[in-house]
Order: sequence, then C-alpha cells, then structure tokens
Amino acid sequence: MSARSTKSSVRPTSRTADHPLGQIAEPSLGPAASLEAAGPSGLGRKWAAVFLTPSAVLIGVFLIFPAAWTLYLGLTNFSLVGFAAAHTTFEGLANYRNAITDPEFGNSLLITLVYVFGSAIVGQVVLGFAMAWKWKDWRSPLRRAVEALAIIAWIVPSSVVAFLWISYLQGNIGPLVEQGTLDFILHISTNWLLQFPLLSLIIFNVWRGSAFSMMLFNGALQSVPPSYLETARISGASEFQQLRDVVLPRIKGHVLTDVLLISLWTFNDFTPYLLTAGGPNGQTETLPVFVYKVAFQQGNLGYASAISLIMLVINSVIAVVYLSLLRSRNT
Amino acid sequence: MAATTSTWSKRSALVRAARLVRRTDDHHRRLYGRARLYGHAWSVFTWLVAILLFFPVLWMVLTSFKTEGKAYTDPPTIIFHPTLTEFSQVFSSGIGKPLEHSLFTTLVSTGAVLLLAVPAAYSLSIKPIKRWRDVMFFVLSTKMLPVVAAIIPIYIVARNIGILDNDWTLVILYTAMNMPIAVWMIRSFLLEVPIEVLDAARVDGAGLVTELTRVILPIVVPGLAATALICMIFSWNEFFFAVNLTATRAGTMPVFLVGFITSEGLYWAKLAAAASLASLPVVLLGWIAQKQLVRGLALGAVK
Repeated sequence: MSARSTKSSVRPTSRTADHPLGQIAEPSLGPAASLEAAGPSGLGRKWAAVFLTPSAVLIGVFLIFPAAWTLYLGLTNFSLVGFAAAHTTFEGLANYRNAITDPEFGNSLLITLVYVFGSAIVGQVVLGFAMAWKWKDWRSPLRRAVEALAIIAWIVPSSVVAFLWISYLQGNIGPLVEQGTLDFILHISTNWLLQFPLLSLIIFNVWRGSAFSMMLFNGALQSVPPSYLETARISGASEFQQLRDVVLPRIKGHVLTDVLLISLWTFNDFTPYLLTAGGPNGQTETLPVFVYKVAFQQGNLGYASAISLIMLVINSVIAVVYLSLLRSRNT
Repeated sequence: MAATTSTWSKRSALVRAARLVRRTDDHHRRLYGRARLYGHAWSVFTWLVAILLFFPVLWMVLTSFKTEGKAYTDPPTIIFHPTLTEFSQVFSSGIGKPLEHSLFTTLVSTGAVLLLAVPAAYSLSIKPIKRWRDVMFFVLSTKMLPVVAAIIPIYIVARNIGILDNDWTLVILYTAMNMPIAVWMIRSFLLEVPIEVLDAARVDGAGLVTELTRVILPIVVPGLAATALICMIFSWNEFFFAVNLTATRAGTMPVFLVGFITSEGLYWAKLAAAASLASLPVVLLGWIAQKQLVRGLALGAVK
C-alpha cells in the first residue's frame, strides 16, 4: 500500500476506446502511462497481483492444463477401451500422420469449412446486417420489439433449439409424428435432415445466430452519422454505394469482430451433434462432432486429442489473422 | 385593380409552384422508382426473415398450450382452447430436480464469477500490472480451446477423483468458463468511470476499500448486473459439460430436456411445454440485458 501517495498520477491516457478491442491493439499508451516510468499506480503492484491471482489461476487451470494434456495425449495411443487402455505408449507424431491421411478427417474438415463459411461468414453476417440496416430508422419501441423477438432464436438453450428443429424439419422423434412442422405447412413429405443434411444445418445455424450479428451491427450503425448518409443520398448515391463508401469504412472493425466471433463459435459449435449426430453417412460430421465420436464412441482419446490440437491451431490462426487485419486497419 | 392582379399573380405563382413540385415528384418517382421498389422488396424480405426467425419458437409456445390430441392435427390447429395440462404433466414427470440443479449451478457460479472477476478487472483497468495486455490476451485465449478438446482431460480427472455427477463440478467449470467474458466486460465498464471522480475521492483521502466500495461500485453496478445476467444465460444454457459430466444426481435442465426428447418423444405437446419452461428464464434475462448482451459477447470490445 506504499504506492498510495502516487496513485492519482497514472490513469492511462488512452481511454479512446472506440476501438473494437478496447485499448488492447492500440500501438502506444503514451509515456505517462508507461508503468516502468511512472511506477505502480492505483492499488499498488502487490495488491493488484493479489486481486488478479484467483481468476488467473482458475483460467490457467482450465486452459493450460487441458491444453497441455491434450498436447501430451495427442502424442500417445491413450484409449478408454481395449488393449491400449491399460498400456498407453508414446507414439510420437503417429496420430498427426494418421490425421493427414484419414479421409474421415479430411471430409470432416471440409464440412466444417463449408459450415462455417456458409452459415457464419455468409449467412449470419449478411442477414444480420440486412436486419440491422433495414430496421435502423424505425421508431425505437417498434425496433426493440422486433429485435426482442429475433433475439429469442439466439438465446434459447441449444437443447431446446435441437428439439425445435428436429420437430420442424424431421418430426419423427416419435412414431406418431412422421412429418415435420414444415411439411405440415407446405403439405409435402420431406425428411429435410436426411435429404439435405448440410443445407439444413446451415439454414439452422443462420437462424440461430443472425440475431447476434444484428445486435452487433446495430451498435455499429449508430456510429455512422446520419448526415453522412443524407449527403450521400442527396448526391445520388445508390443504397449499395452508400453501404460501400459511407457505412462500410466506418464499421470495418465491427465487421471484423463479428466475423471473428461467429467463425470461432461456429467452428467449435457442438449443436450439429444434437440435430443429426453427424449423419447421415458423416455428411454433417463437423470437427467437434468428429472429435466427440472418436473420443467417446470409439474411445480413441489419443487420436481425438491430436485432432483437437489441430482445431486449436486453426482457431488461433483465425484469431491471429483477424488481429493483424485489425492492426493494419488502425495504422 | 392592382390588388386583384397581385392576388392573381400570387395564385398563378402558387399553381406554377405546385405544378413544378408535382413534376419534380414525377421526375423523382421515375428516377427512383426502381430503387424504391427495391427498398420495398428489402422491407418485405426483412419482415419475412423476422417472422421466420420467430416462427419456430412461436410454434413451440403455442403447442405447449395445446392438448396432445390437438398438437398434431393435419391441418395444424391454429385456434384452440389453451390449456395448462401439459405443463402440469411436465411437473409431475420429474422436472423439479433438474430445475433445482440448474438454478443452483447458475446462481452459485455467477456469484463466484463476480466475486473473482471484479477485483481482477479492477487491477487490469488501473493497470499496475506490468504486461497487462498479455494478461488480457491470456484471458481471451481461453476461448480458443475447443470445448470438445477440454472435455477429454476434464472428464478423465473428474472420473479419477470421483467428482462426476456432482453439482460443484459444474459450478467450478461454469465459473472458469464465464471468467474471461466477465473480466473483459467488467473491465470495459470500469474504464468508463470518470477519472475526475476517482481523483476527487483520492483527494478526500479515500483508501482503497472506500474507493472500491463507495465510489467505483455504485457507478458500475448496472454493468455488473448486465455481466451477471450474461453469465446466468450461459450457465443455464450450457449443455456440453453438463451432458458429459453429470447423470441423475446433477443433471441440469438442458440434459433433462434432451433425455426427455428420447423418453417422451411421443408426446409433442408435453415436450413443447418442457422446452418452453427451459427457455423462459433465459429469454427473460436476455430481454432485460438486451442492450448489454452484445458488449458482453464481444468480450467488452464493442459498445
């Protein structure tokens, strides 16, 4: 607590946090905020460490420990069942070599990419933006009401969502109900989840996630001054030109944040398992579903860990690409 | 005479002006007719989207108030006598325990998150920590590890030390799961505390505890409430850990519901009632937190 006398000296000057990542990606904090120069501020280094430790430990235990364990397991033939369960041996990179040649893994990776690209990057971003853009000028009570309804799709538990969509598209959760609700309404008989499995999943995920993008873009569009749009409109810019030249440059950071978050979520999303369990014939076996099957149905934890680690790497690559895009936007 | 002329010319000027306006209007209509049509198409489209987004949920809620017999008629029954039979059916088929487990894990883990995240966020926003940016990234990086990967070691450890199917296991996991979001989010609220207020408190000789409890806390309480709501939503909805680590003794609502789909698949209205019950709390929380929701999910990055 010795630092109390100096505590008022430093509050970081850079509180201009209109940046999507707060101040994190900001290049400089200015000399006054450099801690080496100014010494500890606020509550003093010791207390700050005390404050930070419990949550950091908790996060560390649930990040570093599983990650390290996954790294280790990925190098072994660790298994829940069979001979390897009792005799775990170190296999080096065998699991990774297997993964490269495993057609199931390749298939799964491809499906995941299609799923992420189709439902998140194209579907949710476009639809979410369209809704935010169209409802931007509505009177706020009406807009809030419509948004409140749209948000429901995004907020209900995934187990509920799974039930809804199975009954909606497939309907055969019980012998009595052979038609999905959609078939009822359209008077046709199609088992959507069997006949168009990946397409159904993509549509499902667009439904599920668009509300989030909408909410995020809502905030973003408020940062575009209406007078800019008005000026563009008067000088005869079409809606597309307004979007491209006036709106997009101002909300680029939000678009990037949105794309990052929803790609990560969709990439790691386990809900497809609840809808189709990867079937039919592995046509909807996204990577999380594949890992889950390998680990808990085949009991091959070593291989599953190796694939998880590959997923972790892909996640990190997405995040790094995004962060560098964000930085280059800043400078 | 002069007066009439001037009235006349005024009138004709008005008529001319009106004509001009009309002509420009026509001109505009011709010019922007296509754009306007396009605008209408967009409006219709977004309305349609809004209805489609809401429709499955509406259908579920409607079905939950029907009797089993009315739940699958062809064509679907739209006008019916709402009944609460299916809800009482659900309550008599053992929804009580999962409801209790869900409430317990949600509330306790949210409390724990706030208790740990507030001091952490405070020390990260005042920044006496060297390399605070690295700490923030470390916090963020937990979101990179896929849950399916995390579940393997967690499952093995939980099995070996015998804490499978235990409420407290979920409490600890949910606390850890929500911590990064809470830290980022609370920090973004703390950064909004006006520095003048802090300076004034310090000049008046407020100590650390006074500063935290009497100055900062009252300002950030709405933010903390929003953070708590978001943590609650996540804990309530969490399915993956729950389904893999619990069974009968600690199963939460989502686990119960999925089991219910398998065991009671025949009874559509009853399922719809159970699903509506499982959704109701989060929908209410979500509406209350609507404005802050995105900020929390974007890890405090977007306001």
